[in-house]
Amino acid sequence: MAVSATSDLGDAEEITLSLPARPQFARVARLTVTGLASRVGFTYDEIEDLRIAVGEVCSLLLPGPEGRLTFRCRVEAGAVAVRATREPVGRPIEAGDLSRQILLAVVDELELDAEAGSVRVAKRHRG
Amino acid sequence: MAATDEDRSALRRRFEEYHRTRDPRLRDELVEDHLRLAVHLARRFDHRGVPLDDLVQVASVGLVQAVERFEPHRGLEFSTFATPTIMGELKRYFRDKGWAVRVPRRIQELHVRINALAGDLTQQLGRSPTILELSVAARTSPEEVLEAMEAAQAYRSSSLDTPGPDPADRSSALVGSGEELLFQVDDKLLIERLLATLPPREQLMIRMRFYEEMTQSEIAERLDISQMHVSRLLARCLERFRAMLAAERGESG
Repeated sequence: MAVSATSDLGDAEEITLSLPARPQFARVARLTVTGLASRVGFTYDEIEDLRIAVGEVCSLLLPGPEGRLTFRCRVEAGAVAVRATREPVGRPIEAGDLSRQILLAVVDELELDAEAGSVRVAKRHRG
Repeated sequence: MAATDEDRSALRRRFEEYHRTRDPRLRDELVEDHLRLAVHLARRFDHRGVPLDDLVQVASVGLVQAVERFEPHRGLEFSTFATPTIMGELKRYFRDKGWAVRVPRRIQELHVRINALAGDLTQQLGRSPTILELSVAARTSPEEVLEAMEAAQAYRSSSLDTPGPDPADRSSALVGSGEELLFQVDDKLLIERLLATLPPREQLMIRMRFYEEMTQSEIAERLDISQMHVSRLLARCLERFRAMLAAERGESG
């Protein structure tokens, strides 16, 4: 198999994904992020965590206006970081307790800017 | 939805009042106040050949049922309680129409195989396997492994032909799964201490399962992962709890 477990993306390289803000595209976001994470050796459990995280981020951003979601994904020192933003911004993000609990359980970093319609999550690879 | 504590307790009081009085006017108000939830969930099924208006109607039926059945004294948030009921109604609608999402059989089978392999490899390696390791074991590509993991949602839909979770399911799901163990432990502090030793995701699942009283399929639904995975993680936690409790009793006895 010609797939290396180490990153052949430079640390500073970034994938940007722009999707219609509709639920059926959440799958594409999840596949992209987990695809990137699997290239740097994330495990099955870590990938499941990331899938949950990206799905949760999508559901936080989706109940907005019809618009677009942009995902900026990068590998930073053994971590996968994703910043998702909504355009147009629309109403502030409403993040309930359960959403926060879920996100905090599956990622290492969570930044949420409700007014700016932006969520950033990062997960470190531990192995 | 996201609300202050004050809103939340005001809402709880209205639900308590409705639970007592069954006043139809109050019921209508409670339903109307949560229509946004129904619309939000209905949108998830948009673009499958059914007009959104129809989907909202179906979701609203689920919402009305949820308002009827909600028992505020159990301490659950209404939205947490209502979501699976509404989703169930929407899925039943698609199932009855024969429109449930179909995943290619190959990916469905791979999904089941990957789930089993992940468990086996975790035992063998003493850690969670990488996607590459899984793909080698399953004789497929890493991309297919990821796609098979992504099939969790659709896989659940296709298994809808078996009866879904209903209130009676709550108790039967507990029997023989080892979950009754937690109910036998009165010492809340002990449980908290045991919980603190688990990874965050497992803590979350135990909380959802036992504090929010969600069923395994509700947890799977909420987190968009397969029920098999939830079941495996919970079983792992409970196994660990049991070992720790046994050690604890050994020490004190």
